[in-house]
Amino acid sequence: MCDWFMRTEAFLATAKDAPPIAPKPKPPRHASPRALTAIALLIAGALIAAQALYIPAKAQVAQILMSNAWEHQLSTGDPARPWPWADFTPTAKLSFPGQNRTVLAVTDAAGESLAFGPTLMAASVKPGARGVAVFAAHRDTHFAFLKDVKPGDEIAVELPDGARRFRVTSSQIVRWDASGIQTHDGGAPRIALVTCWPLDAKTPGPMRYVVWAELIPEPLSASTPSQV
Amino acid sequence: MEQMITLTNNGLRTRPALAGALLAATCLVPAAYAQQPRDGTVSKSEVSSGSLLLQSSTPGRYVEAPLVAADVKMDIAGPIIRTKLTQRFTNPTQQWVEGVYAFPLPEGAAVDTLKIVIGDRFIEGDIKERQEARIIYEEAAASGQRAGLVEEERPNLFTTSLANIGPGETVAVQIEFQDKARLDNGVWSTRFPLVIGPRYNPKPTFGLTADRTGRSLSVTDPVPDRDRITPPVLHPAHEPTGTEGLRLPVNFDISLEAGVPIADISSQTHGLVVTKSGADGARIHLKDGEVPADRDFVLSWKPEPATAPTASLFREQRNGEDYLLAVVNPPAIKTTAQRRDRETIFVIDNSGSMSGDSMDQAKQGLLLALNRLAPTDEFNIVRFDDTMELVFQTAVPANEQNLARARRFVSNLEANGGTEMLPALQAALVDNDRKNTEEVRQVVFITDGAIGNEDQLFAAIHDGLGRSRLFTVGIGSAPNAYFMANAARQGRGTFTFMDDVTKVAEQSAKLFAALENPVMTDLEVKLPADTADAFPAPLPDLYAGEPVTMVMRAKDVTGDLTFSGKLNGKSWTMTLPVSAAGQTTGVAQLWARAKIANFEESRYTGMTMEQVDAGVLKTALDFHLVSRLTSLVAVDKTPARPAGEKLDTRQIASMLPKGWDFGAVFGAAAETRALRFDQLPDGVMQKINARATQEKPKAEHDLALPGTASGWELMLAFGLSLFVFGAALLRRGRSAIGLRGQALPASVGSVRATSARDRVS
Repeated sequence: MCDWFMRTEAFLATAKDAPPIAPKPKPPRHASPRALTAIALLIAGALIAAQALYIPAKAQVAQILMSNAWEHQLSTGDPARPWPWADFTPTAKLSFPGQNRTVLAVTDAAGESLAFGPTLMAASVKPGARGVAVFAAHRDTHFAFLKDVKPGDEIAVELPDGARRFRVTSSQIVRWDASGIQTHDGGAPRIALVTCWPLDAKTPGPMRYVVWAELIPEPLSASTPSQV
Repeated sequence: MEQMITLTNNGLRTRPALAGALLAATCLVPAAYAQQPRDGTVSKSEVSSGSLLLQSSTPGRYVEAPLVAADVKMDIAGPIIRTKLTQRFTNPTQQWVEGVYAFPLPEGAAVDTLKIVIGDRFIEGDIKERQEARIIYEEAAASGQRAGLVEEERPNLFTTSLANIGPGETVAVQIEFQDKARLDNGVWSTRFPLVIGPRYNPKPTFGLTADRTGRSLSVTDPVPDRDRITPPVLHPAHEPTGTEGLRLPVNFDISLEAGVPIADISSQTHGLVVTKSGADGARIHLKDGEVPADRDFVLSWKPEPATAPTASLFREQRNGEDYLLAVVNPPAIKTTAQRRDRETIFVIDNSGSMSGDSMDQAKQGLLLALNRLAPTDEFNIVRFDDTMELVFQTAVPANEQNLARARRFVSNLEANGGTEMLPALQAALVDNDRKNTEEVRQVVFITDGAIGNEDQLFAAIHDGLGRSRLFTVGIGSAPNAYFMANAARQGRGTFTFMDDVTKVAEQSAKLFAALENPVMTDLEVKLPADTADAFPAPLPDLYAGEPVTMVMRAKDVTGDLTFSGKLNGKSWTMTLPVSAAGQTTGVAQLWARAKIANFEESRYTGMTMEQVDAGVLKTALDFHLVSRLTSLVAVDKTPARPAGEKLDTRQIASMLPKGWDFGAVFGAAAETRALRFDQLPDGVMQKINARATQEKPKAEHDLALPGTASGWELMLAFGLSLFVFGAALLRRGRSAIGLRGQALPASVGSVRATSARDRVS
C-alpha cells in the first residue's frame, strides 16, 4: 500500500518536473486569395457537376419508381403517386416499338413533372379523343430518341382503360409561342410529341420540335406483346 | 445557387469567358419554369376566406367552386308532367369560366327545350346532331359568345355546358321536358333524381389474337364514354354546411291537377308544404325550401278510392296527327288457382356503393323474401362486388336447414369493392331446367344500379333470359332508375324501389305481390286504325297492381280502343271511346321518346346499329328531342367575353348521394387524398382543364409549349471545367503555399513580437 502511495507521488513529482504543456501554436493559415478561389472553384464545380448528373439520374430512377405506381394503377384503377410527395401520377405508357423504347408519361404539375417523364400537358385532350394530346419531354433525357422517330413509325399509348395505337404522320419545327397546336379543335384524334429544337443544341432556344401521330382507327388492337 | 454565383464570380474576375458560361448554365434551370401557366387556379393565400375551394390538378393550386342552383317547376296534369328545370351557374372567380355539369333526369324524360337566361332575355336553343351541336357550341364559346349545350349520356343522365360566364356573374339555363307519372297499386307517383350515384365502370377487356405480324391485343371497353358519366365527386366533409349555404341547392314548385279528387299527397323522401286548391288540385313546396342535391325526390298522390278511375285517355293533335296516352287499370280478378312452385334466384349487390343504409335495406328485404318461400320452392343466392359467390352450387329446396344457412350468409354481408355485375347476372340466368314450364323461374336482382355498362347488361339479359323473369329492386337514396326499369323490361319482370330503411316491409310488399301472383297474359290492345304506332311494343307482362300504360300515334283516330287480357284463364275486355279522350299537350313528345326507346331496344332483337341510329336520329330531330345522337344548343349572338380574356373550364362536382360512404366507393386511398391539404376540398376525380381558348390573333390560340431542355450536359461540362480549373489553380497555388509554409514560423514570431511591443509602448 505504502509502495503504491510512493509511486504515485513519484509519478506526480515527475509530472510536475515536466515542462508545462502549452498550446501548440497553430500554423497560421494565411489563405491566399488564390487558394480560396481554387477551393471555391473545386466546390462549385463539383456541386454543379453533381447537380447536372442528378438530372439524368433522376429521370431514370423516376421512371423505375413510376413503373410500380403504374402497375398499381392498372390493377386497382386508382391513380397512384410514385412516391408519397410526388405532385403527379403516371398517366400513360408510351411505347415506340421501332426505337425499342418505352417511357411512362406523367400528369402535368406546372413544369416540375418534366424532370421525371414526358408530361401530358394539362390542356390536352385524352389521348385517343378528338383533338390533340400533347406530350412534352426534355430533348436530352426522355425524348432524346425522338430524332429517330420517323413518319410511318408506330406509337402505342397505353392508358388505364386500354391501349391506342398511333402512326407518325409528320414532324415540324415551331416557335414555342406559335405552335399552331389547338388541342380542342375537334379534329381527328392525334398526339403531338414535343421537345426542344435543335435536338443537339446545348443552350435553350425558342424553337420546338413536334412529332405528329394520328390514331390508327378501329379495330383497336395493339401489338404490345409486353402487355400480354 | 445565389451564393455560388457570387463566389465564383469573385474568383473569376480574370476569366470573363468562363464567367459568361457560368451565368448561362445557371440560367438554364430556371428557364424551364419561367412559363407559369395562368390557368385560373389560385393558391390558398390568394383567396378571400369563405370561398369554396377545390383542389385543381396542379398541387397547391385551387379553384373556387362554382355553384349551381336548380329550380324545378313541375306542372302535373293527370299523368302528364311538364317540368321546367332552371340551373343557375354562379361563377365566384375572377376569370371567365365554362361550367360543365352532369346531372340526372327521370329516365323517361323527353327533353325538348333549352334556353339561356341572361337577365330577362331568353335565347332559345335548337336541336342538332350531337357532333354538329358540339361544334357550334365550341365555336361560340371560343369567340366569346354565351352558349349552352345539353347532351344525353344515358336516358337518365345529361350534361349541361354553359360557356362564358363572367367573373362574379350568374347565368342560367332552362331545360324543359315531358314525363309521365307512374301508377302503382292505385297510387300515382313521380321520382325526380337529383344526384348521379358514382358509377362503377368495368375495366376494358383484353383479347389476345395472333396474326402474321405476331401477337396482338384487342381492347373492348364496356363503357366507351366512361369519362362523360363520371363527374367529379366532392367529399361530403368539404360540402359547405349551415350558414355557408348549399353548393348545389334545389327547390321545387309543383302544381298538381290530378283530374280526380285527391285523398292524400305525400313524399317519402322530403317534407312537403301542400296548399290545396279545390278537391283535385294542389300547390306543393318543400318544407325546407332549398334542399341539397344528394338524393331522389319522390312525390306520391292518391285519388279518393271511390272516384279512382279504371282508365284514362289523353289526346294531342299535332301536325295533323293524333297522339294518344292511355293508362288502364285492369279489373281485379279473383284468382283461385293453385300456387305454382318457384325457383327463385336472389342476386344481391354488396359493392362499395351499397355501404351504409343501402346494405341494411337490401339485407332486410332479402331476409323478408326468404321468409316467404315455401318448402317446395327452390332457391339460391348470388352476391357480388368485384368478386362473386354463390351460396349453393345450384338451386336447393327451401328447407329449414338451407334457409338457415342462407340467412347467416346474408346477415354477414358487408359492402365493399367494385361492381362487376355482368358475371353475377349471367350466373343467375344459368338455367339447368329450361324446358320446365310448370315451374316459375324468377331472378330477383337487388342493387343500386351504380354501373356504367348498362348496354352490356341489357344484352346479357336479352340473350340469357329463357323462361326466367327478372325483377329489379332499386336500393338506396339515388338508384339508377334507367337500369332498374329497362332491365326489368328486358327481363319481362317488374321493378320496385326499396329506398326507405324504415319501410322495408311495406316497400317489399309490392315485390312479393308481383312474385307470387300470376301474371296477366295475352295482353292486347286493338286500335281503330291499323296503321297506328303503339309503344311500348311488345306490351310488357303485367304484374299484380300494375296498369297498362301506352302511347300511340294515328291519323284522324275515331272509334274505340279495346284492351283485353287473360288472368289465370279468365279474360277481360275494356273499351275506351276515343271521343272521350281529354285534350292535352305533351303526348307527342312522350310518344317520340317511347319510339326512340323502342329503337334503342331493337338493337337486341336483330336490328343493325345503322338502322337503330337512323331511326333514333330522325325521330329526335322531328320532335326536337335530346337523344343519344342529338343535342340542344343555344348561342347568344352578342359576344360577352372581351377579346383577350381567357376561358377556363370548370367541371361541377357532384354531391355524394345521401347515406353513401366515400371510402367504400372510391377506396381508402382516394378518401385520404380527398381529405388532405388542410381540409381543403379535393375533387378526387376533379378534372380541371385549363383550356386555351383565347381570342385572335391566331398565335394566341396556340398551345404554348414548355421549355424542354434540362441542359444537364452543358451544366455537367461547365461544372467539370470549373472543377478542373479549380484543381489546376490549387495545384499551382499549393507549391507557392508550401514554400511559404516553411518560412512562416519566423515571420509569425516577428509579427507577435511586434504586436507585443506595440502593446508595451
